[in-house]
Amino acid sequence: MMSVGEQRWEMLERIGAYAAGELEGEEAREVEQLIFERPDYRRLAESYARMLLMLTTLGNEPVEAPEAVVGYAIRRAYVSAFMRSAEVFIGALGRSYLNALVYYLGLKRESYGGGT
Amino acid sequence: MSSAPGSAPDQVLALRASRGDVEAFRQLVQEHSGLVYRVALRILGTDDAQDASQEVWVRVWRNIKNFRGDSTFSTWLYRITVNTCLSARRKEVRRGGREYSGDEMPFLPEPPGGDADPEAAALGAERREEIQAALGHVRAEHRAALVLRHMEGLSYTEIAKVLGVPDGTAKGWVSRGRATMLIALVEEDHGHRRAGGAAG
Repeated sequence: MMSVGEQRWEMLERIGAYAAGELEGEEAREVEQLIFERPDYRRLAESYARMLLMLTTLGNEPVEAPEAVVGYAIRRAYVSAFMRSAEVFIGALGRSYLNALVYYLGLKRESYGGGT
Repeated sequence: MSSAPGSAPDQVLALRASRGDVEAFRQLVQEHSGLVYRVALRILGTDDAQDASQEVWVRVWRNIKNFRGDSTFSTWLYRITVNTCLSARRKEVRRGGREYSGDEMPFLPEPPGGDADPEAAALGAERREEIQAALGHVRAEHRAALVLRHMEGLSYTEIAKVLGVPDGTAKGWVSRGRATMLIALVEEDHGHRRAGGAAG
């Protein structure tokens, strides 16, 4: 059994859903009837409509990110990409030196790939 | 939730960025930095929005190789943005109960010129502060769902994808967020009226 507070909360949510245009059919008609009968529910529905209009209005206003955000993101990406390239280059250089050393010390026979 | 006309489609840019193309990533940042900052601003407020936005782009660059194009780039970006904002607010304690103990239903008074008045519809600085303050009273997950639904205009299916929850949960979070926000907004409004009355 729901407490009075829980029942009120449920009504708050139902009227909110109605004001947002999210109820259909029988459910919408039930809420309409309640709104018609109870002035406090009517005021609640109007209050929701006002709040949703404010949210939509605010949501439609253009917002630009501060230049610092854009600059930081791009700088970080460039630095990270440079570091990745440097890592690949240093890795390749190290492997070349190692191969040269192996060859110089005669630890591995020279091979010419491709032919049989 | 689509790329601007004339620009390379987001999916193509994201694919190029995933292969390490910084120029493609730069284009994505420039095109979508407004979206990221706007959502962070609504969920976190002015003080934390900038840091969160920077963190979002660091995460995007780090994870873009995992972007497979199963969803649109903007849905993926919304997801990273909301997750970053929510992790910044994980420890926040907000009203979460589903009870209303007021004597009468909350009521937000009509603006002086009426609802149809375009001047009243344009939001003043005070009203913006009230909205932001009221949003701050809503539990972080519900706030994110509310922002995505009523400020970003996403469908429940999109919200569910962004938040990684079933459609029904997304709907419930929006509904609870809406109710909590209205109560908080009414309290903010009464507070301002009392302060205005005391000053005048």
